[in-house]
Amino acid sequence: MVLKIFFPQCCNIADSGLLIGHWIPGHNSAVVLAVVHYPFIPGQVKKYLNQMQSQSQVHLTVLGSWSMPKEGKEGMDSFLKDLSTIFPQKCWLQLSREIGKTGFTCQVVQNDGKLLQDRKEKNDDDSSEEDKIIFVHYDQRKVMLSQLHPVQEVSQKSEIEPSELRLVFQTVAQSQPLFFLDKYDDGPLKLTHWQSEGREASIIAELLKQASVPVCIFLTWLLSLWHWFCSFRILHSWPVLFISSKLSTCVQSGYRGVHFKTVFSPQKAATHMDFMRKANIFVSFLVDIALGLLLVSWLYRENRISKLADTLVPVADRVAKELQELLEWLMGAPAGLKMNRALDQVLGRFFLYHIHLWISYIHLMSPFIERILWYVGLSACLGLTFALSILSDIVALLTFHIYCFYVYGARLYCLKIYGLSSLWRLFRGKKWNVLRQRVDSCSYDLDQLFIGTLLFMILLFLLPTTALYYLVFTLLRLVVVLFQGVIHLSVDFINSFPLFAIGLRICRPYRLAEGVKFKVLCQEPGTPLHLMMEINPLKFSSVLQCYRTPTYSGYPKDSWAALSKKLFVGELIYPWKQKTTKTD
Amino acid sequence: MMGADSGPGAPAVPWRKVLYERQPFPDNYVDCRFLEELRRNIRVRQYRYWAVVRETGLIAQQVSCVAVFLTLWSYMEQGDLEPSLVLWVCLGCALLGYGLYEILGGACVRERTRLADLQSATIFLAFTFGFSPVLKTLTESVSTDTVYAMSAVMLLAHLVSFPYAQPSPPGSLSLNAALFGSVCLASRLPGALHTFTMLSCALLVFALWPCLLHRMRDKAEWSFPWAAVLVCLAGVGGLGSLWPEGALLLSLALLTLTLLCPLLLVLLQRHKDNIHGPWDEAEIREDLSRFLN
Amino acid sequence: MGNRRRGHTHAPKTPPLSLDTHSSDHEQDVKHRICMVSDFFYPNMGGVESHIYQLSQCLIEKGHKVVIATHAYGDRRGIRYLTNGLKVYYLPLQVMYNQSTATTCFHSLPLLRCVFVRERITIVHAHSSFSAMAHDALFHAKTMGLNTVFTDHSLFGFADLSSVLTNKLLTVSLCDTNHIVCVSYTSKENTVLRATLDPEIVSVIPNAVDPTDFTPDPSRRDNSKITIVVISRLVYRKGIDLLSGIIPELCGKHPDLCFLIGGEGPKRIVLEEVREKYQLHDRVRLLGALDHKDVRDVLVQGHVFLNTSLTEAFCMAIVEGASCGLHVVSTRVGGIPEVLPDELVTLCEPSVQSLCDGLETVIARIRTGNVASPATIHRKVRTLYTWRNVAERTEKVYNRVCREPVLPLSDRLHRLRSHCGAVAGSIFSFVAVITFLFLLFLQWLRPDHLIDVAVDSSGPHSRLGQHVSKKTSKTPNPAVS
Repeated sequence: MVLKIFFPQCCNIADSGLLIGHWIPGHNSAVVLAVVHYPFIPGQVKKYLNQMQSQSQVHLTVLGSWSMPKEGKEGMDSFLKDLSTIFPQKCWLQLSREIGKTGFTCQVVQNDGKLLQDRKEKNDDDSSEEDKIIFVHYDQRKVMLSQLHPVQEVSQKSEIEPSELRLVFQTVAQSQPLFFLDKYDDGPLKLTHWQSEGREASIIAELLKQASVPVCIFLTWLLSLWHWFCSFRILHSWPVLFISSKLSTCVQSGYRGVHFKTVFSPQKAATHMDFMRKANIFVSFLVDIALGLLLVSWLYRENRISKLADTLVPVADRVAKELQELLEWLMGAPAGLKMNRALDQVLGRFFLYHIHLWISYIHLMSPFIERILWYVGLSACLGLTFALSILSDIVALLTFHIYCFYVYGARLYCLKIYGLSSLWRLFRGKKWNVLRQRVDSCSYDLDQLFIGTLLFMILLFLLPTTALYYLVFTLLRLVVVLFQGVIHLSVDFINSFPLFAIGLRICRPYRLAEGVKFKVLCQEPGTPLHLMMEINPLKFSSVLQCYRTPTYSGYPKDSWAALSKKLFVGELIYPWKQKTTKTD
Repeated sequence: MMGADSGPGAPAVPWRKVLYERQPFPDNYVDCRFLEELRRNIRVRQYRYWAVVRETGLIAQQVSCVAVFLTLWSYMEQGDLEPSLVLWVCLGCALLGYGLYEILGGACVRERTRLADLQSATIFLAFTFGFSPVLKTLTESVSTDTVYAMSAVMLLAHLVSFPYAQPSPPGSLSLNAALFGSVCLASRLPGALHTFTMLSCALLVFALWPCLLHRMRDKAEWSFPWAAVLVCLAGVGGLGSLWPEGALLLSLALLTLTLLCPLLLVLLQRHKDNIHGPWDEAEIREDLSRFLN
Repeated sequence: MGNRRRGHTHAPKTPPLSLDTHSSDHEQDVKHRICMVSDFFYPNMGGVESHIYQLSQCLIEKGHKVVIATHAYGDRRGIRYLTNGLKVYYLPLQVMYNQSTATTCFHSLPLLRCVFVRERITIVHAHSSFSAMAHDALFHAKTMGLNTVFTDHSLFGFADLSSVLTNKLLTVSLCDTNHIVCVSYTSKENTVLRATLDPEIVSVIPNAVDPTDFTPDPSRRDNSKITIVVISRLVYRKGIDLLSGIIPELCGKHPDLCFLIGGEGPKRIVLEEVREKYQLHDRVRLLGALDHKDVRDVLVQGHVFLNTSLTEAFCMAIVEGASCGLHVVSTRVGGIPEVLPDELVTLCEPSVQSLCDGLETVIARIRTGNVASPATIHRKVRTLYTWRNVAERTEKVYNRVCREPVLPLSDRLHRLRSHCGAVAGSIFSFVAVITFLFLLFLQWLRPDHLIDVAVDSSGPHSRLGQHVSKKTSKTPNPAVS
């Protein structure tokens, strides 16, 4: 068995005394947490340990003795050896440094007093593999603050046994109360361990912490007011609900509300993940507001709003004109295709009338557009995401005619495809059996066959015309959907990007650990192996994956194949369609 | 002792074709009764030449039906036939045929009421009349050659998929193919009334005539060959008035179909060699559907 | 090619010409190294699978070395060892249809050659004409100069186009196979006709059942009613349509009759429809697919065993039924009349009427008590078919095959051309030449003497089971790892 001793770096030069730490259950390894300096009263040490144990929930014990040779303190060794009788332990570690050597030696005494390992005897024939000692030095501060990934909370009992490394990290993190005892405090005991430097300097942070509680309570109250307002019955009637689910601004505000609820809940974040989520949302929110204000400051300078309004109407006009030309082209013989003339004319005129309606609508609106834009621009104060959402909504409203065309075309096309597929079965003398989900053969009557064939032919010959209209309008629709999709993606990005976690990863890489690496410190003959444990920071991709705030809207959930199949059979596609909404 | 190599010392007991008894023969013993249950050609039917010729009449008349239909279309396209006249003739034929059908069917139980027949007829006429302007413009933008090719393929498909064994009611695929072809052709005619006329003709020739013919074959067997010959003559004659070489080809084809093919079938029967024995999968000869219906 | 084989035979063999009787006792200690090849083996379940397994076990018991080669079943790939060191190669070959592999005549050669050389095989024994892998193995074994045996388990018709084609392929495949084993005399006639064989090289060795697995237990019967048991796959070839006619016919006449039907298949829906139409839910029980170990539990519950097959080479089911002490009523098709003596089976024509008549006479006999007791029936059946007997007779086939020379390539081509017709013969001669060249290429790529020789797990030089060959008391169970 290899005995592993995790030793804090800060204790390297501590005065002689007792080693305080924790035996990792189930593994042959010990974590040294602190050194109690000589002189001490054993009773007080025990009392102190009990006190610490009740605070930190870590089973603290005296592991052994530590001797740091200094001038005039000879004969310490034998004294320290005797201490093992005062603190009865199964195993007693005796660490000692010698002057002029970097490493230190260790002797393990079993409780029966027998010397388990003595370097002087054993080193000559180190053939015996079983009782080696390895010192692993660690930076106590970093290990205490770092969170080992994948995150596994202490409170939740999981089936899998935590690894040795995780246990070490947990032990050090939990024994935080032990480190509060300052070097300069007057007390019965003197300890060496990691010291936080300048706790007094962080008084502002303390004050902020204290102040945050009432602020949070107040904001929560405001939020509940907002919720109360939202719960009016009039807002739950069908049209309002329908429109608000389609407008990305409403979706975004609802989303923000949920975020606020998480951030401003007055309870302290219990677990690491909760804390990180809160911090991430808060930082994202701040960044969002800052970007929004930047936008506002840019927009309201130099009369930019009216310029924008002046260009918007001609652009809409222009789009309508282009569409008109496109329709006229389609009504001729587009690309040399032979379409059914009658149907072509009917469809073309129908769409032209639509465009005519649209243009009049835009012109009716044009005097008010500047005013509208001015008020809308203010919304950027609420954050960049709001501005983007409103932009997306405006685009959706301005391209409503394209959407209408698309829906008409798709519905017509869909009808034709379904009709053709079922009539093709009739043509072959088959039918679809819904109960058994298969195609059965069936003998039809003469009149059924006759009418079926007539309809089949009509649909078949009209299909190319409909398909062309569908194709053109689908392409137009896809352009709009793409644009809206990009906006949604960017909004989603701002909402869900874990800024805090990324910042933490950049500034304090050790806080998010993915594992450790060991470096050989010294391997002198005659001393055990000394390793330095360094923390491997989490990869950026893992940070993103782990701390991304889950979003409700966003990405197109369909795969490409599903999307193209939908396009082929003429089902409607939406940028905001969520897979979760149609669970049935 | 059993075994593949046991000597052929003639044992006294005769060999039996059973497995449950240990017999004093080697495993690879071949008795003189080996393959005694082998039968050859037990289920071969002996065809009589004229009977087969009679049966092929059905195929020949179906081919001729297509020829008659094409002739009619051709005349209408050239404008030599007034659609109203053709309509009247069609109506007459339909009534005549219906009467004949009723008379022949006399004794047997009717599956459909007369009201249902009337309903079907109304649906045919109404839909065809209503749709004929639409059908007329349907293939406008498609080139004439494409339309001809399509109708040719469809009429051929009709002939191939026609259920010659059970011609009434006509099979879905064959009837649909014929209708498809005739709509394609009809849409090339000059007016909507022409289209309507052509579709009525198609209905008469491809849907109703096979039903009548089938009933004739069932009830008045003597009339069937005459009817077939009549249709063949009409087909050849009609085609002859338009395109004499085509008529010659058609008559040659019909002769091959009705006379030469049956001859080959009867002559080649001699070379049939079919082996039967106890290893054959047994056939279920009873009608088991009675247990389920 | 002959060199290779001789190089690997370990025991001095009798010269091929000495056919005298005194050589037979010398043969007793000739131990063969046999490779059974078939697409069908455990975990697939069926008649062929258990035949291969039981035969292999009995041959191992007799001191021969047996390995089995089949294709990979899902995760089951590589080499597995079954009871008594029976080694199974699950080769990574692509399954095409119905658990049968695709065949190209070439792609399986490297793998099979590797198996044959590694295991120093002397006889290749292929099973089932539905198995493409078996035919491939016959072809490759001949190319490599090994002797071959083929066991045919099924019957084929001659009427339709597909059977014409398969029969032609069988002709080619069996044209230079040394010996063919059929499971019944009808099957022999069928195979001889299909593959145009010399009947002298076709032996009839019936299948067997393990009588200890199928023992009667009259206490399990419910004697207040008469139970008819049917156990078969529910497919057309098993005559399930006939069964769907028999059920309403008999249930109408005899109110105390009930049916117990085990098995699964596409025709199950027909039985369910009949059961629904005649309201027989309490009298017709459909048990679904049965494990082999559960078959006996179902059988002992019945009085009569009914088999409605439309074709059957050798019906194991009726032997199992009779072994459990049931009265067997069966159709008179294929090899069924040869299987059981007349006092144990009532044979009927394959029609509803005839089967109903047969069943009614049996029912009448049961009602009058004029029937043999289950124990009597079991005693009669017990000794009819045993695997040990099958193995003994198969061993004789091996001994005979062993003495036959393997045709060199030129003779083989000549035989193919003369035996299989001009067209097919020429094509397959070409294939044979290509395969031969492919083999030469493989031998150049990796010579035989460089291929590791496998450690025997069965047979005379077995490292595993020296004690096993002595232990002859117990018939092995199919222990699938």
